Amino acid sequence: MHDSFDQTVKFKLREDDEVFSAADVFKLVHEALKEKGYNAINQIVGYLLSGDPAYITSHKNARVLIRRLERDELLEELVKSYLERLSGGG
Amino acid sequence: MRKLHINGNNGPLNGKVKISGAKNAAVAIIPAAILSSAPVRIDNLPDIQDIHILTEILRSLGVEASWHNGTLDIDAGGLSGWHATYELVKKLRASYYLLGALAGRCGKAVVPAPGGCDLGPRPIDQHIKGLTALGARVEVEHGLIKVEAPRLTGADIYLDVVSVGATINIMLAAVRARGRTVIENAAKEPEIVDTANFLNAMGANIRGAGTDVIKITGVEELGGMTHTVIPDRIEAGTYMIAAAATGGDVLLCDVIPKHLDPVIAKLREMGITVEVADDQIRVVGQCPPQAVDVKTFPYPGFPTDLQSLIMVLLTKARGCSIITENVFEGRFRHVDELKRMGARIKVEGRTALVEGPVQLTGAPVAATDLRAGASFIVAGLLAEGETEISQVEHIHRGYEKICEKFKVLGADIREIEG
Repeated sequence: MHDSFDQTVKFKLREDDEVFSAADVFKLVHEALKEKGYNAINQIVGYLLSGDPAYITSHKNARVLIRRLERDELLEELVKSYLERLSGGG
Repeated sequence: MRKLHINGNNGPLNGKVKISGAKNAAVAIIPAAILSSAPVRIDNLPDIQDIHILTEILRSLGVEASWHNGTLDIDAGGLSGWHATYELVKKLRASYYLLGALAGRCGKAVVPAPGGCDLGPRPIDQHIKGLTALGARVEVEHGLIKVEAPRLTGADIYLDVVSVGATINIMLAAVRARGRTVIENAAKEPEIVDTANFLNAMGANIRGAGTDVIKITGVEELGGMTHTVIPDRIEAGTYMIAAAATGGDVLLCDVIPKHLDPVIAKLREMGITVEVADDQIRVVGQCPPQAVDVKTFPYPGFPTDLQSLIMVLLTKARGCSIITENVFEGRFRHVDELKRMGARIKVEGRTALVEGPVQLTGAPVAATDLRAGASFIVAGLLAEGETEISQVEHIHRGYEKICEKFKVLGADIREIEG
């Protein structure tokens, strides 16, 4: 548990030592989806709701990337970030 | 009449195999393309009979479609018909997706009752219920399904049984309907998600695909786009089971491992090593595997399409395994052929008892359906002597370059004119 909203959680990849934050993942996945002509927000929401990686394009390895983090971890970051903005802490 | 010949007991499968695009997604996405009058491009399509037949059907309706190397360019701007011909439609089950797609685009459709694999009763009552709820008049007469829908209107539809076909067909009809449609008790298969992705990218408004509630807000028109079809989880499962059955070591590339969770879990339960990384799966067989019980269910349960294949693997397992088929009641027609190869299997209703281990022996067998045909290939790999599989057209309906892929893995398999 993190007691501060401004902490960035880092997650380790399984196969190499490269580390991505939830923010990195969202940014890269969003970019890949947009480049392929999808409505990126809707596709990411679909993934978060259903857990099906088919929502995420394989373009730029986005499908693999989003699976690096668990959905609950991604959602936790989203909620934290949103609440942080609401409380004016961003 | 072409036949497959397999010299069995030829050692374990080893090597790498690239998985093709998903047949069951492609056969929904191609008809979906006619909902737009703008050009669309579909990538990563498997080079299989079902895709080419579907393309022919579209051409017969005035649609421009050109195939090159796994990519299909479709321009339905000149769509001029809504009556699909029996000669083509009888060859594939998925032709029923033309009902939803044509009704959505033209307001009417005439499609002969579908063909495809004979897996026992597969009623289309849920399709008809959905289309009717959207305001269409549906009649079945003289072997034709006729849909009249001058103006489709959104509706709340609760499916009595979970049906992939009905879920997709209703989705297709609803994307250009007036207002909002909610499908409850919807199927959750990845192929539904991929179809929704394709439609959304064309401008549709579909939410919740992959969950049991799908909400569709109708839009006036759809545009063009390029879409890449997801990998075929059933083809991947086929090679995973083949690798496990032969005690081999096979790496599958271009897969979505999440879609294979129930298969991975079952193989691990049998003592088989399955390693997962990103978009690859490695299977290392264990001889003999442990007997397990298998129950088929809609996704995310164990897929019915792999039931006949895991049955072959279980003939090698020590002990008794029970397979319960919960999806299609007539899906044990491969059992008689496997018994002719020496398998010890008893069927009672929806349950099959498989006793192992046994040494299968080569025999002439007929591919009673697509997946049964694939299971006979795996049985042939395990059997002593030569197995001859007839009615291979069923296998080619759904598996891209199956001989070549098995050959690369070390199988002694060839296709001949018989």
